[in-house]
Amino acid sequence: MGVTRRQLLRAGTGVSAAGLLAACGGGSDGSGATAGSGGADRPRTGGTLRVGALGHGSAITRDPHGTQANESDYLILALVFDTLTVPGAAKNTAPRLAASWESSQDLRTWTFRIAEGAVFHDGTPVTAEDVVWSLQRLRRTPSGAARLPGIQVGNISARDDGTVVVVSDYANADFPLMTRFSSFVLKKGTSDADIARAPGTGPFTLDWFRGGNARLVRNDRWYGPAVHLDAIEVTMFETPQAMANALLAGQIDLASNAGAVAARTARSRADVQVLRRPDDMAMPIVMRTAADSPFADRRVREAIRLVVDREAMVKQVLSGYGTVANDILGTGDPRYAKDIPQRGRDLVRARKLLRDAGFDLSRTYELVTTEDISGLAESATLFADQAREAGIKVEVVKQESGAFWDRTWKSGDFYTSYWGTNDSVVFFASKTMVSEAGQNEAAWHDTGFDAAYREVIGSDDPKRRAAALTALQRIEHDRSGYLLWGMADGIDLAASKVRNLPKLPGYGRVQLEGVWLR
Amino acid sequence: MTPTAATRRAPAPAAGTAHRITATALRIAGVVARRALLLVVLLAVVFAAVELLPGDAADAASERGESAADLAARRHLLGLDRPLWERFADWMTALPAGDLGTSAQGQKVTDLLADPLPNTLVLAASAFVITVVSSLLLGCWAASKPGGRGDRIVSHLSTAAFAVPEFVVSVSLLLVLSLWTGWLPAATVTGGDGRPATWTMLIMPVLALAVPQTGWNTRVVRGALADQASAPHVEAAHLDGLPPHVVLLRHQLPGAVPAVATGLATSTGLLFGGAVVVETLFNYPGVGSVLAGAVAARDTPLIAGVVMSAGAVISAVLLAADLVRHATLGARA
Repeated sequence: MGVTRRQLLRAGTGVSAAGLLAACGGGSDGSGATAGSGGADRPRTGGTLRVGALGHGSAITRDPHGTQANESDYLILALVFDTLTVPGAAKNTAPRLAASWESSQDLRTWTFRIAEGAVFHDGTPVTAEDVVWSLQRLRRTPSGAARLPGIQVGNISARDDGTVVVVSDYANADFPLMTRFSSFVLKKGTSDADIARAPGTGPFTLDWFRGGNARLVRNDRWYGPAVHLDAIEVTMFETPQAMANALLAGQIDLASNAGAVAARTARSRADVQVLRRPDDMAMPIVMRTAADSPFADRRVREAIRLVVDREAMVKQVLSGYGTVANDILGTGDPRYAKDIPQRGRDLVRARKLLRDAGFDLSRTYELVTTEDISGLAESATLFADQAREAGIKVEVVKQESGAFWDRTWKSGDFYTSYWGTNDSVVFFASKTMVSEAGQNEAAWHDTGFDAAYREVIGSDDPKRRAAALTALQRIEHDRSGYLLWGMADGIDLAASKVRNLPKLPGYGRVQLEGVWLR
Repeated sequence: MTPTAATRRAPAPAAGTAHRITATALRIAGVVARRALLLVVLLAVVFAAVELLPGDAADAASERGESAADLAARRHLLGLDRPLWERFADWMTALPAGDLGTSAQGQKVTDLLADPLPNTLVLAASAFVITVVSSLLLGCWAASKPGGRGDRIVSHLSTAAFAVPEFVVSVSLLLVLSLWTGWLPAATVTGGDGRPATWTMLIMPVLALAVPQTGWNTRVVRGALADQASAPHVEAAHLDGLPPHVVLLRHQLPGAVPAVATGLATSTGLLFGGAVVVETLFNYPGVGSVLAGAVAARDTPLIAGVVMSAGAVISAVLLAADLVRHATLGARA
């Protein structure tokens, strides 16, 4: 062990204050995307950060354009390779390998300029050809159409050495957002056989990878801001419990995405920082809106949304590590409509709405859930209890994950879902709510909503776009098929010496390039 | 068993030895063939069982937002659009060349198992050795004074140890030896060589596996020794005035070996089963955790790869136990 328990305890004294500040989300230090730094401290260069991240030995993948089921794999890839854009704080899309981007008037043609001085780990400069080849490779994977929606392989091209042009099939004001997750850039012509050792352009180079674990060392040639750590060691953990235990025992310095249960365990330890990344996970209840569903009448859906006790859900399901939500998905979006009044619990009104709609209260309604993520099944159970107080009989049915995705998702009348990317209202509108969305979980068709959505992604006038986005959120709040009661925080546990940790939800958790050790 | 017993009585020692070796070889070949056939049947069952589960590997490896056409492309990429028997035949015919196929995430199954399998073998073998030594010691000690205080204590403790599941033992060990005292690392961290970074990371997982099995096997040893105690030759030895420990070790124990070997052989299967739980709790990088993930992801080649390797190891151990039992019974005949 690099640090003894006593050192940890000693270092821990000044930490809880910093941890608290971080938890409150003070972003005034200019770094924006990260937290945990005491304002007076100057970053110290050196040291090795030992990170734990979740993953299964069975699901290991080395391909940056593959399906990364393991958080550990994605973390390693995101530090070795660069995407064009990354999640940001002030705006949800921030530059990375693409230093800047702009669109044509019709919002179909997007031009990305590659960052000055970007080179691969073997020293060769990054060219537009490499970027084009990588985006085309990504587009050709089975998930390519989902990852680069509306983009055909032939519509990705290089204008000159430093500029890439992507033409979308339709107007899409939010296209750069789609390049945040997996637009990893490799050298043109990298063969599948060489993918595991392919040089990236990221802040760290791969020293070794074995069985899901890896060691990364600082890339001194990185074009981004100064990297302080000498190295990062990633250990794959199968369960959050084992990961939290390793952190508490001082075997790792950071437990990434350890969850609320681990946070509760670690809360009493002065030598451990509990870092909260708000708006990390949405666990909405989906009500199918199609005509043959008991929830087809929007008054019924409104009533169901009035039945839930949101504070109680956050307190009990998330152990308090979360915030109450207002039935609008994309809560982390800087453009999220905070001025729409918060819906609260109103059983009287709920009963009246159900009566008016002729909702059958003698029936028992099945709410299907899974144990895919911690808290999901508990949320269904607690909701069922709360619904009973309004006279609605809800029976929770737990399905095994495979069975759920095969049989219930997108077709069930009443089920729990979950989403890990929550910093864009438009993302959810396009993926899950506009009539033609491939993952229209509630089979919702609303002409008013569709019109607002088209205005948002198709209008080049920022004012009109902003107005449409507000209208869109209002409609979603009023009549969509979702009940979104709250948002779970992403929770990282860290030793007290770790500074400038990630603060953003979702995939923002991998932004470790600014971390330093005191 | 009778043929070998007969050769032991053969008058010409040289010819008898040769004959015996051939007979043993034939016997081993027969057992190996039977076990191999059993393994093939088991693998066929695995392929069929995964097919019966809802969802498939393409579903599990897909991302939300993939259309039906994307999913079909993924299914084709993984070969899932071909009939089950064809995939099974392909997998089986590649097997002799040491090719266990490709996982749903595109990694070679042999690569995915290259480190975990030896790690699990080290874990299970260490637990097995501890189980053998401690159950023999405890069983003999208990049998040395039947009905005495030691016998009663061992009897109660071994029952209790066997009744406690691995995860309870694991969590207790974890709390006491790591989180409260800080003596041992709480989780296994794996180094660049694919092995646990320090040997101390093995202690708790090994103990968690060995404790319940020691409980079970101590009872087997104690019971087998008790059976032997009433055998005529043991009673005769006592009447001859031999010291009790000599009677126990020279006359009771050899007769108890077949029953003990069978008990221990059964333990190997249970050790592998327990490894799934223990590896998860201690983050030990073995096949147990690979198997659990593979089943959740409906990753048939990977599941078959684990079943195949674990099955081969367990078969080898059972064969060894068979031979031990056979040799000792043969000697007594």
